[in-house]
Amino acid sequence: MLAGSTALGVGGLSIANELPAAEALKKQQKRALFIWLAGGASQFETWDPKSSLETGGPFRSIPTAVTGYHVCELMPKLAKLMDKIAVVRSLNTEITAHAPAADLISTGRPKEPALNYPEIGVILAKELAARESKLPDYVSFFLSTEGRRRPATGFLGGSHAPMLLENSMRPGDIDLPAGLSDLKHKEREHLRELLSSEFARGRVGGELVKGYNSAYAKVRGLMQSDHLFDIEQEPAAVRERYGRTVFGQQCLAARRLLEAGVPVVKVARGFWDSHHDNFESHRELVPDFDHVLSTLLLDLDQRGLLESTLVIVLSEFGRTPKINKDVGRDHYAAAWSCAFAGCGIKGGAIHGKTDADGKTVADGEANAADIAATIYQAAGIDLHKEYHSGLRPVPIAKEDAQPIDEILV
Amino acid sequence: MLKEEKEKTHPVVPLGKGDKENPMTFDPTKAKLSASCEVPGILFGLCHDTQGNKLYAAGTDWSVYCVDLNAEKPTVEKRWTHHENYVSALAFLDGVIISSGFDRRIIWTSADTGELVRKLEAHDGWIRDLAVFPGGERLASVGDDMLVKIWDAKTGDLIKTLDGHDQKTPQGYATALYAVAITPDGKHIASGDRIGKVLIWETDSGKQVSEIHAPTFYTYDPQKRVRSIGGIRSLAFSPDGLSLAIAGVGTVTNVDGFVGPCRVELWDWQTSKHTFTAQDKHKAILNHVAFHPNESLVIAAGGGDSGGILAFWDTKKEQLIHKAKPKGHLQQFALDPSAKHLHAVGHGGFQTWTMSGVPEGSP
Repeated sequence: MLAGSTALGVGGLSIANELPAAEALKKQQKRALFIWLAGGASQFETWDPKSSLETGGPFRSIPTAVTGYHVCELMPKLAKLMDKIAVVRSLNTEITAHAPAADLISTGRPKEPALNYPEIGVILAKELAARESKLPDYVSFFLSTEGRRRPATGFLGGSHAPMLLENSMRPGDIDLPAGLSDLKHKEREHLRELLSSEFARGRVGGELVKGYNSAYAKVRGLMQSDHLFDIEQEPAAVRERYGRTVFGQQCLAARRLLEAGVPVVKVARGFWDSHHDNFESHRELVPDFDHVLSTLLLDLDQRGLLESTLVIVLSEFGRTPKINKDVGRDHYAAAWSCAFAGCGIKGGAIHGKTDADGKTVADGEANAADIAATIYQAAGIDLHKEYHSGLRPVPIAKEDAQPIDEILV
Repeated sequence: MLKEEKEKTHPVVPLGKGDKENPMTFDPTKAKLSASCEVPGILFGLCHDTQGNKLYAAGTDWSVYCVDLNAEKPTVEKRWTHHENYVSALAFLDGVIISSGFDRRIIWTSADTGELVRKLEAHDGWIRDLAVFPGGERLASVGDDMLVKIWDAKTGDLIKTLDGHDQKTPQGYATALYAVAITPDGKHIASGDRIGKVLIWETDSGKQVSEIHAPTFYTYDPQKRVRSIGGIRSLAFSPDGLSLAIAGVGTVTNVDGFVGPCRVELWDWQTSKHTFTAQDKHKAILNHVAFHPNESLVIAAGGGDSGGILAFWDTKKEQLIHKAKPKGHLQQFALDPSAKHLHAVGHGGFQTWTMSGVPEGSP
């Protein structure tokens, strides 16, 4: 059950209890969660099955909560939630090499020699971050090493770099030194802040000191937020619901962070590059994806967070219709799929379609710029707002990008 | 359409010809691809009607194909389509083709007429393999419900269900039960799964009598790609029934593909003692393994990052005798009764390999 459920329905939440003032605010604040299926998930084994056809492989398609729309049988749980999910089945992004394809879909722009454009998540973090927040603006989980990407901040600079969690689920180096109590640490921070303010008074360059203070406040905030990364603080039933896979644990941590006010979180789940044994690898990966994402969407919904949280499921490309000699599928960017849910998204909307064999886009072709524009619009960000790269004004969305209105509220 | 392979030093031997008039010794080092028949997609299952001298195979397009080896110029013929998904294995029994598929069915079809004789909803999951017991009275199948099922091969009645394989991998993901084999006396069955576990069962009682752990066949990469590859893809008992061959791929360095050494392990299954590892640097998974009737030779076929492979190991000398490079990735093969020809299927269709160009008794 999605509609009408309450946060208490899943056994209570320590974070919400600790941050009662944020309860009202959290429903207004917009957030974004990227689920990055690194390596290129197969559209045939997920959102655009072609069962009974040579290109479709051995998996059957199953009906969903959206009349007439079928997904791969490996996603029975998401099938039931399709009225909360929108799918774009008509992506044509052309590039089939991992890194440049990931660059393209992550920024919504082709590479330009004179423009180092930030990734969509970095822009979302800048736009959605609450003022004076002591939490990180962007947390990126990427524990697998293959295809690992660090969200590029481009011309926005290093101050917009996300917190990277690449070796563990918890940030490192935020424990207090041995022998230093929390009280002592607070006192030292107050003293530092006092000295900084005294120093800044009447001097030019006060903004610089403000920046230092802000950075220290973030560190202090991060130390105070350490518990957010600790999923052991979740009730056992909730942890069990997300499951024991790494992806499940990361998504639970992501939900904790989003709920506490982190505006952008990315969870990368690698590695979907199934050149050999495609069906065996998707038998392994898709049910985990199905279980974890459906659990997450239900959890967000039950906590009243889904309507303010934009969930984006992306890869760098899809996989070939042709099944190769090693029972695998290779890289394919001419006709593939991505999915959205939550903030600004019209649940149950299915945009575009591919031809019978899934080889070409038959209707509603969309490119990477269109996806970026759709994300910005769903998050309520003005597409025409301009940043500056040096003196050059650069609109947030590519000039010719067309948001996919069909999936937007 | 059959294509004869051009070969410089030996005359082309047509499919299945040459046995009686021109008997040859089985010499793996002389293995030559002598003929092939193209079929779209990938053929997974193969069986040989040895009396009629016909090959039957099926795979990704659901249809059963036949090559009549008696024909002057054998061609491939599409015979029937009774399954509704990939066909995984075939067996020939008294004029009937028994096939299993990812549609979860076992289907009996008259080989002569193509008429569907019987259709069973046999497993709750893809059926990966089947094997007929000696004597032809019973049949064993394995599926992704992780069950071994024993059937009356003539009536399709379920005789016994054997349950003992893990339902998930140690990391909590879906697993698979790929392989089944039966001892030559029919008294025992072996089943092999994705995580490298083989269970041996007593046929009549259904009791599990032995267990083999061969974890090298399963590679889980917890760091780079956070997923797995591999599994026990084929099992075979030796002609004396004492040794069990297990086939697949060794430790894989990149789980995006079959990037690991092709591997066969021999075990004394009654004592769960590992006796020999037949492994080669050729990066491939071995989808099928069989003993040559002389017992000292193990043959395995597969494919992967290094391309297709047909490999021969001498189990007494414990060494690789020869590895041939077939056209594409092979899935299954059958030795003809004289064991002088080897028929294989896989990506692209049928292949026939002649194991010697030199007649017996020649100088």
